[in-house]
Amino acid sequence: MAPSGTVADPPPSSATDSFNSGASEENDIRPFFVLHKASSGSLQGKSTGTVRSKRTIESPTPKIAKKSEVESAEEEDGQFLSNRRLKIFETVWSKIEKTIENVLRDSNSKIFNGIYDWIRESFESIRSYGALSLSEAVRSYPVLTQASSKQLFTALVLTRNLEMVDDLLTFEELNLHLKSQGCHVAKLSSMDFSAKNGVGGCLRGLLRQFVMPTLDVADVTTLASWYRENENHKNPVVIIVDDTERCCGSVLSDLILILSEWAVKVPIFLIMGVSTAHDAPRKILSVNALQRLCASRFTLSSPAERMDAVLEAVFLKPCSGFTVSHKVALFMRSYFLCQDGTLTSFVRTLKIACLQHFSSEPLSIMLEHFCQDRSNQLTGEGNGLLTESTMKHAFDLPSVTRNKITRSTCELLPQFLLDLQRMPNPWSIVVLCIYEAGKFDKLRLLDIFCETLDPEARYLKYFSPSAIVNCQSQVSGRSVIRQVLRKLRDLSPSQWRSLLKRWENLSAEFSEINDKVMELHPLKRSVEAAGQRQGLPNSPKKHASRSHTKLEKELSAMADKVAAVIEFMLREYMKPVESVPFHEILCFKNVDKLQSALLGDPRGRIQSDLLEAHNILHCICCSQRGTTLLPSMHDTSILYTLAQEHADVINLHDWYQSFKTILVSRSSKTKQNSKTCSKSKKRKDRCEEPEAPAEALIQARFCRAVMELQIAGLIRLPSKRRPDFVQRVAFGS
Amino acid sequence: MKVESFCSFFQNQESSKVTRRNTRSSSSVTVENPEPNESHQPTVDDLTFGEESITLDALLSDFPGRRSQILDLIRLIGPLDCPSFPIMVYGDASTGKTSVVLQVFRHLNRPFVYSSCRTCYSPRLLFESVLNQLLLHSKCSSNGYSSAKRCDKPSDFVNLLRQALSNVMETLDSKSGTSRSSKPDGKPVGKMVYLILDHVDLIKEWEKGTMILQFLFSLYSVLKMPQLGIILISGLPPDVYYSNMGYTDPIPVYFPVYSQEELHQIFLRNQANRDLYSAFLDSVLKPFCRVTRRVDELSTTISSLFRKYCEPLDDLGLSPSEDLKRRLYNQLKPLIAPCLNEIFRVSSRPNDGDNRGERRQKASCSSENREEVEKLDFHMSTSAKYLLIAAFLASRNPATLDASMFDSTGGMDNRKRKRKASEKSMEKKEIAEQEAVMKGPGSFPLERLLAIFQCIASVGDSSFGEEEEGKEEEEEEEEATGYDRENNNLMSDVLLQVSSLCDANFITKSGSCPLEGSVRYRSMVSEDLALKVARSLRFPLSKYLYRR
Repeated sequence: MAPSGTVADPPPSSATDSFNSGASEENDIRPFFVLHKASSGSLQGKSTGTVRSKRTIESPTPKIAKKSEVESAEEEDGQFLSNRRLKIFETVWSKIEKTIENVLRDSNSKIFNGIYDWIRESFESIRSYGALSLSEAVRSYPVLTQASSKQLFTALVLTRNLEMVDDLLTFEELNLHLKSQGCHVAKLSSMDFSAKNGVGGCLRGLLRQFVMPTLDVADVTTLASWYRENENHKNPVVIIVDDTERCCGSVLSDLILILSEWAVKVPIFLIMGVSTAHDAPRKILSVNALQRLCASRFTLSSPAERMDAVLEAVFLKPCSGFTVSHKVALFMRSYFLCQDGTLTSFVRTLKIACLQHFSSEPLSIMLEHFCQDRSNQLTGEGNGLLTESTMKHAFDLPSVTRNKITRSTCELLPQFLLDLQRMPNPWSIVVLCIYEAGKFDKLRLLDIFCETLDPEARYLKYFSPSAIVNCQSQVSGRSVIRQVLRKLRDLSPSQWRSLLKRWENLSAEFSEINDKVMELHPLKRSVEAAGQRQGLPNSPKKHASRSHTKLEKELSAMADKVAAVIEFMLREYMKPVESVPFHEILCFKNVDKLQSALLGDPRGRIQSDLLEAHNILHCICCSQRGTTLLPSMHDTSILYTLAQEHADVINLHDWYQSFKTILVSRSSKTKQNSKTCSKSKKRKDRCEEPEAPAEALIQARFCRAVMELQIAGLIRLPSKRRPDFVQRVAFGS
Repeated sequence: MKVESFCSFFQNQESSKVTRRNTRSSSSVTVENPEPNESHQPTVDDLTFGEESITLDALLSDFPGRRSQILDLIRLIGPLDCPSFPIMVYGDASTGKTSVVLQVFRHLNRPFVYSSCRTCYSPRLLFESVLNQLLLHSKCSSNGYSSAKRCDKPSDFVNLLRQALSNVMETLDSKSGTSRSSKPDGKPVGKMVYLILDHVDLIKEWEKGTMILQFLFSLYSVLKMPQLGIILISGLPPDVYYSNMGYTDPIPVYFPVYSQEELHQIFLRNQANRDLYSAFLDSVLKPFCRVTRRVDELSTTISSLFRKYCEPLDDLGLSPSEDLKRRLYNQLKPLIAPCLNEIFRVSSRPNDGDNRGERRQKASCSSENREEVEKLDFHMSTSAKYLLIAAFLASRNPATLDASMFDSTGGMDNRKRKRKASEKSMEKKEIAEQEAVMKGPGSFPLERLLAIFQCIASVGDSSFGEEEEGKEEEEEEEEATGYDRENNNLMSDVLLQVSSLCDANFITKSGSCPLEGSVRYRSMVSEDLALKVARSLRFPLSKYLYRR
């Protein structure tokens, strides 16, 4: 774990803090910042000091300023290393990001080509009605050929995710793809379809993208005249609406009706992104508009499928070397399934994990070599990465001490690292093999990945004979590997053939596994032969004939054999990352940090911060207050602490009175104190003026604090019915 | 007599000015637009339909069942150069109003100006569209796609229209003077221009719509130019427009909905194999006519059905025997019923030669529907699913029952006891209940939604936990770490999920200040979808639904 390492050498720990504050600032400091915008300067140090925030707060104490030479030198060293780590993080992350981008592009390209083909076909069919002369094409009355000429070709692109975030990029890429094929493309979003601007708003948006940015009035005739100029009419016009559900239905209907009046003169293709069911347009469009749509459906790959592809590319294929532990993987999985369900958030989680890994693990710089091509640079330590302190840190890693590797084997470190570098290969082959087997049951790689990362290898127990008996009796279970094993028994000969073929391909680079797979071939042949004898190779369990029983026997023998191979693979090669020495270099394990960075719990944070503001402000005046409220505290903080004494409604008058007592009585007391002790240094703040603040000032401060609480969503302002009471909205912290 | 003197007076005054402007603009266009691609300067000829004029017989045969309307229209428009009163053509959608009017003008070969109030969605666009056509102005890149005149107000429109009209009159006059007798194709005939305004009923929806409508109705009397005939096409009957404003009411021409025989004739036009198609129509048209008689709705479904009808045939040219007809009909029969339902759905034309998996058509919707009942075909996070169910429950159940349905712990056994009590009262208030159903989903404040969400999310998780315990004891400790966290996590980011549900139209919001928290929500989810979601979570939704 990281804490033990950070105790060992202080400079990286300061870097840790700076990284953390940087990360947390992005995530959850903002609501807090709203509250304290006008407060004292110590916060500014926090909000601006991105790199060394902790230190700037502590720096007034002279202890740190007088550092020994050695320490400062070490600090410089640490600074150098942390900068370097940041740089390496950037290279590693850019590599991961690029990989993900490529995966997504590949997964979409088939659909994109399908859409383009559809556009071309339909465009040709429109042109087959006959070419229009210019005067025909721009005149105001419709072309009277047939009723279907009013149809508007529409593609419903099902994104199959409630959240739109992932698909913004997809539609952007579709836009580029179609543009590169020569189509005229305009992209409208739900913002263009607001009820306020009406149909004029979206037409204006269209013309802005097609014709020119400044137009007096938005009018379809303009579009028609533009389309007839400069060879524009050689290509179709495509309009992409990426989030149909969010559009104002009446405006979209109007646009469709208008465009359909011009359908032949300007061949328009509508591409509508639909995030829920395919009948969503039916819910928002009017009947007349629906009737004008000639809809085809295109289905994007589901988020889970994309997720699997991304996982495979990032963790199982050689990519960056960075990986995550079992617990982190479980957390990421549950976050994906329960919370957000978008790939975007998954990638963000991954990025946070990666960043935190680099910030907390000094040895993470080694990842640079994993990231680059696999040439052995590790042995030649020319760049002075392995300084004394990092070496010490490396041998203090829990995985190293657990395996009883001592300093004496120091020269073995490069060897271990090489192993580490090589290690994922058989592991990922095994995971992919199981994934292939699981595909028949539509298992998700995400689940398999999470299960196989388990450092205690609990999945092995499914191979004990009792478990095999068990697994047939139970209908459903959580364990993915057990499901795979169960499914193996139901495979048909043809499925066996394809499975073995894919296993062969996967294990081609790794001879040990490949040999085992090859051993299965004779069995496969006998199964096939049995299947052919039966004449129905695809339905092994249909006929209760004698040949069938023979086939069944063969099949079950096959299944047993394959299960044995899987077991062999799991036992021999599936060393989960976490059981390997020095894995901390590659593997991010701190799930709590990730969770707090990701979920944040901003409301709870606001409440706890309000109650203990001095922990953040670090002012001297309120540090030793104990449980009493001091007038030097921030007004909002005082008010919120006072509000804790009330039930769900707070009488404004009482509240104000107690607020006033705290400000007035205390300040008068300090006035006396200041006269005797003359500790004027303490009172820099205006709140602490010697004389009691005027009534008007107290009222003003009260009002402001109440407003701040309301903005933070902690109280609700008085209603008409009960003008003297505010209501508490949030309870507990 | 009077009219002519008035007219000539106008011509004398305006002609010199207008012609000069005209020439200037045309010359500038040719200079600034050097590329030769179809640079087209519209002339008066473009005010006609532009194609060969058709004879009356062709016109009548083109529109089966519209004989009387066509003859009425021609009679009301009147002989050449004869002023006519405003005409209002009205009738249901897709009864041939626009086509008939336009084809009548094609037959008469008279100049006209057409503007659709759908395309011109504001008064300014409408006015400018009319003026552009009369002034023979075409938008292009060289003039920045601007209109010939900027015209916002009805009063400006009257003035500009007067100028433009007299300009056109003059050119028409000179034309008809030169080539009167020869009557070439496409050349305008007569000294009148007709103004056709389509979709007049849409103006009612406009801002200040009634004012514009009154202006249009009184345009004839305000303009005092008998050379302009006005024809309004409307989906609504004239009664809805009339008010006692003292203008001449337009003469109504009603286009009734087509009868089945007329539809038969309409679809039979332009068919290669009339016998086959007629046999097809005999079998198909009757059930469809009960659902709709709109030509546009029918034509899409019927054409796709005909394609299926012909599938078993090798030779499309043969005339079918009775036996063949019966066989084809039997094949088609199962397809008709789903298509009947489909008319109100997104229509879809099956694309030929499409055998890729991702391009399934919606025509096969009915068979898919059955599959879809089983599972949800799009991704939602677990907390969003619980929220959806919570919203559904909050909308369906009365708020007073919440306490009995969910206690603070969300226990299962407790609920059953309470439910029985509510069952008794349920019987008593059956009528009140039905009323509540008729009212549709109720609205609820955010707090109630969150409270129900918390209850059902905790119940759902605890039931999951039970399942796990029963099934896999050995995995308990591992699952406990993983799924405990899930439970806690479900509660965070809930507001974000609410907003994304709102975005997906599953929950609608009645607007108010979000800080006040007094917004009320309403679930728009069908019971089908809610059940589907509940099934994916293995959540016993029906137990929680009041009245079930």
